[in-house]
Amino acid sequence: MRVLIVEDHEELAATLALGLRREGMAVDVAHDGAGALSRTALHDYDVVVLDRDLPGMRGDDVCRALVERGTRTCVLMLTAAGAIEDRVEGLTLGADDYMPKPFAFAELVARVRALVRRAQPGLPPVLAAGDLRLDCAQRIARRGGHRLELSPKELAVLELLLTAEGAVVSPEELLERVWDEAADPFSNVVKVTVSRLRRKLGDPPLIETVPHAGYRI
Amino acid sequence: MRWLPRRTVRLRLTLLYGALFLLAGAALLGITYVLAAGQLETKQVTISGTVPTHTLATVGAAGALQMHFSSTGPDAVPTSGTASGAGPAPSPQELQAAARVLLGGVPSKGDPTFILTQLAKDGHAIVAEQLDTQRSNELRSLLTVSGIALAIMALVSVGLGWLMAGRVLAPLGTMAARAQRISERNLHERLALEGPDDELRELADTFDGLLDRLEHAFEAQRRFVANASHELRTPLTLERAMVEVALADPAADVASLRKICERVIATGEEQERLIEALLTLARSQRGIAERESFDLADLTRRVLASRRADIRRRRLHLDLRLEPAPTSGEPRLAERLIANLVDNAIRHNHRAGLVQVATRTAAGAATISVANSGPIVPPEEVARLLEPFERLTGARRATADGSGLGLSIAAAIARAHGGALVVEAQPEGGLAVRADFPAPQRTPRPLAG
Repeated sequence: MRVLIVEDHEELAATLALGLRREGMAVDVAHDGAGALSRTALHDYDVVVLDRDLPGMRGDDVCRALVERGTRTCVLMLTAAGAIEDRVEGLTLGADDYMPKPFAFAELVARVRALVRRAQPGLPPVLAAGDLRLDCAQRIARRGGHRLELSPKELAVLELLLTAEGAVVSPEELLERVWDEAADPFSNVVKVTVSRLRRKLGDPPLIETVPHAGYRI
Repeated sequence: MRWLPRRTVRLRLTLLYGALFLLAGAALLGITYVLAAGQLETKQVTISGTVPTHTLATVGAAGALQMHFSSTGPDAVPTSGTASGAGPAPSPQELQAAARVLLGGVPSKGDPTFILTQLAKDGHAIVAEQLDTQRSNELRSLLTVSGIALAIMALVSVGLGWLMAGRVLAPLGTMAARAQRISERNLHERLALEGPDDELRELADTFDGLLDRLEHAFEAQRRFVANASHELRTPLTLERAMVEVALADPAADVASLRKICERVIATGEEQERLIEALLTLARSQRGIAERESFDLADLTRRVLASRRADIRRRRLHLDLRLEPAPTSGEPRLAERLIANLVDNAIRHNHRAGLVQVATRTAAGAATISVANSGPIVPPEEVARLLEPFERLTGARRATADGSGLGLSIAAAIARAHGGALVVEAQPEGGLAVRADFPAPQRTPRPLAG
């Protein structure tokens, strides 16, 4: 799950990014509208968390540009103006959700997840394959009733593979969706994470390697 | 009084117009009547009568006589006459005598009908032609016909007046309808009345001008509220997020939590400063209740003393020219103004740049001016800098750049003192700000004795 945070307050942006990364999301940060647009042109984000009160290019304009571009990216708008008409206006601009500041961080996480789920209709909150169960909201994976101790990145890789419903997921896609732009595309971080995940999932092996294509469950 | 129609201007104009028309028509009718009556009055009156023979020797026995009078009454003078007797035509003297007989002995009354009746009763004369009846008949019919015409024309004029008033007042209706639509939500709309450049158009343009000013004021107010809520809520969000994220971290230890706590306190202090600044802004916008005398030069020295270290650290060159500048007002607010100007000059400066501070008295005003080197400020941006939360380069963020309220507060303080803040962009970069304070107001001392 890849998220872009657009917030001009650098410390707030860093804190939100840290929190969302701990939740297993790949998070990039932009501090202004121009940076947000260049990043959304480069990467395929699931959710853009957009501060409406940006200096220079306003959050409204960024939102409009994203909607006009017609990507599948969902926009979650953050704003200090929480009056009803402000919220209505924000949603009219094409934002998928709207949160007035200050908000509870847990709510932000829940709303980001809900947006992603909405973008992939028919996806149950609990993904399953064989005796493996993954509760996406609670970030808990169980195999045969036993809870697995997975890191956020491992959970994200597992979620992506389960979401693909048997289709092959390439290492590039895993890198794009699970890791943020700080990750080195030439490192073997994907391979390492997948092998660690395999080990933690135990036997019989669930993740299958498709040569020259990627992985699938 | 519910049953009365609403007394609109249109109705009143129509009624006024109709009433005036009716008045003018009635006057015209009256004049016509009087003139026509006069005309009829001078008409000839013809009286026929039998005259006793002894008065008219020439007429002979009991001749009939016809006479024309210029008017009726005892003083009537016959103008001509014909006698049907055998004799020659009567001479004027004879006619006069006959008239006296005919009209004599009659009470001196102007009513010709009465005279004629009297004459007939006496058996001296009969009414040959009742001219009075004819005259009053004519006058009556004149009155009737004119009255009907006046009534018809009055109705027509009321109708026309209604139409005309409606036509003239139509722009007012348009204006009312458009003005009713305008609220604080759509203050950008205007009456934009089209048509000739007349009084109504002037009214509409005046109203549009008022809306312009209102819109600006509302827009500034709206921007202030939006900015203030952004500036106040963002640190709250940050504090909450920092604490929540730290608590959600399963690997959190005492050291990391302590670090978060320190950052939360720092954010809280930032908020305190912002709230303090907002309160100062509100206080200085309210005006000054009591005035104390003070010298701007003293205040400036005090402000600069507390910023020496900052100036040294940034290697700024301070050019100080302090002349006495006595004024009166609230010294704490004036010190705030000076501090804001100096802080701006320090903050928005190049490293090793220049800060010029001067106080003086000129033209009865105490003046403090602060100029600094720094990045070039576009002159069109200068007015915006005086608005709350506006900073240069479009950045609007409460970080080390200050609250963004400094210049607004300074301007409000200068205004509260009855002075003004003048901000100019220097062509070589940086700002030059000047605050004028009025000369000290001496409290009038009661005269001894």
